Amino acid sequence: MSTAAERASQLALVARLKSSYPELPDAPTPDLLDHARFVAYMKPVHDVGGEPDAPMKYENKDYEYWEHMTYVICEVLAWRGIWLSEERRRIGNVDVQRAVYLGFPYYGRWLLSVARVLVEKHLVGLTELTERMAEVQQRYAGGLAGTTLRAQPKFEGDGSGVRRNTHIVHAQGKGDPQVYAGRAGTPRFAVGDRVVVRELPVLFYTRTPEYVRGATGEIAAVAYESPAAEDETWDIPDAKPEWFYVVQFTMAELWDDFNGPAADTLRTEIPERWLRAAD
Amino acid sequence: MTDHDHDHDHDRTVKPMVDEVTDFEVLEIALRELCIEKGIFTAAEHRLFTEFAEQIGPTPAARLVARAWLDPDFERLAVTEPMTASKEVGVDWLEPTGFGTPSDFTAFQILADTPTLHHVIVCALCSCYPRPILGNSPEWYRTPNYRRRLVRWPRQVLSEFGLYLGDDVEVRVQDSNQKHRFMVMPVRPAGTDGWTEDQLTEIVTRDCLIGVALPTPGVTTNVVTATRPATHPVGE
Repeated sequence: MSTAAERASQLALVARLKSSYPELPDAPTPDLLDHARFVAYMKPVHDVGGEPDAPMKYENKDYEYWEHMTYVICEVLAWRGIWLSEERRRIGNVDVQRAVYLGFPYYGRWLLSVARVLVEKHLVGLTELTERMAEVQQRYAGGLAGTTLRAQPKFEGDGSGVRRNTHIVHAQGKGDPQVYAGRAGTPRFAVGDRVVVRELPVLFYTRTPEYVRGATGEIAAVAYESPAAEDETWDIPDAKPEWFYVVQFTMAELWDDFNGPAADTLRTEIPERWLRAAD
Repeated sequence: MTDHDHDHDHDRTVKPMVDEVTDFEVLEIALRELCIEKGIFTAAEHRLFTEFAEQIGPTPAARLVARAWLDPDFERLAVTEPMTASKEVGVDWLEPTGFGTPSDFTAFQILADTPTLHHVIVCALCSCYPRPILGNSPEWYRTPNYRRRLVRWPRQVLSEFGLYLGDDVEVRVQDSNQKHRFMVMPVRPAGTDGWTEDQLTEIVTRDCLIGVALPTPGVTTNVVTATRPATHPVGE
């Protein structure tokens, strides 16, 4: 039970959480929102490459038990055909939105994505999940008090009726992306070709970083065939695989303020739909 | 402090010693219980993957590099067929599911440094990392800070790890943003003539394999050693 004062205090805390441009009012009228800010709001939040930041102290960290268990549950859900890795990456790294993306611990987002996928795919009801959370909270009401954290399922269920993806069958013994080999036809580009990264509008998800869009690079490798992230992330059953390329950029051309040696380079992987031949 | 006979209020000055279970811990346990009860996965499958995850680490990758330094044929194999070379140091990329560790995919590449080319890896979008052969990534590798800055100011970031490279060395950042996973094969350092594979393996630290450090005789630890402890660590 919380008191009215505690509720008010929590609301005050939430109110201080800012995740929008302070120069605009909340829910601005359309004329106040320009294209650049529209793009900024729509930018998948995982795409942080090149954003200015100051040096910080880098540290290692020991794992909390729940962090380790979260990594395991995510991988087991993919192993058992509940989601593709690409679905997990979107749900945990992008769909969470900016406040949680920047505010949560790394594995906190992974864990949230587990709850999200199970609820959205109708495998666990949200009410039964929150009821179970309340039950677990009650179980540890006095804290750990010398005991250990332990999952205590009441029984082992029959999973034969659980809907699973076909990826786990097709990729067996082959791996991913090998499972898509031979399905994208002839690659449009060859090693050494000059290419420009297209500036497609972005909604919801992409893995083509903003910092290379519009830049000219050179094909360094014709990498593999796979559905593009924009399709794979929704587990679209008949998504057509396409060629991926490792594209090399010259740092001095990529960054306006680069002051290092002219020979420095950067390489990243880009699917064919995002590339066009340089003039 | 047995005679505790003063009159201040401990409730106000000392945090109560309840070892609280966090929201994340509650959610993880609730989800795991429901998954097992619904047959989404079995307790045995969960245990099998847990055991797999507990035994991965950077040692096979270090050994792979050491072996490549000693054997030119193996070095060629490492560069041209990195997953075959991985098998020779005990890592099968298709394990433990038959199609790999799902988040890591099965498209591994080894980036060979030369005296005039230095690679360093990052995933600017999340934390893509060759887990099967390097273990889990260090916390700093996952920070927005490292991911934001490495793709744009690589030499500055490397200098914060104590790595200063001359202008005659090309720094090549590999942003592993899709399905490929990368590790760096550094150049064998001077002063290691006649060393055995075991001796060489010791100086190929995880940081060398990411590319934020160079192997150095006598150095067997990573650059960043400060470690934040866990409140409820694995194994308690």
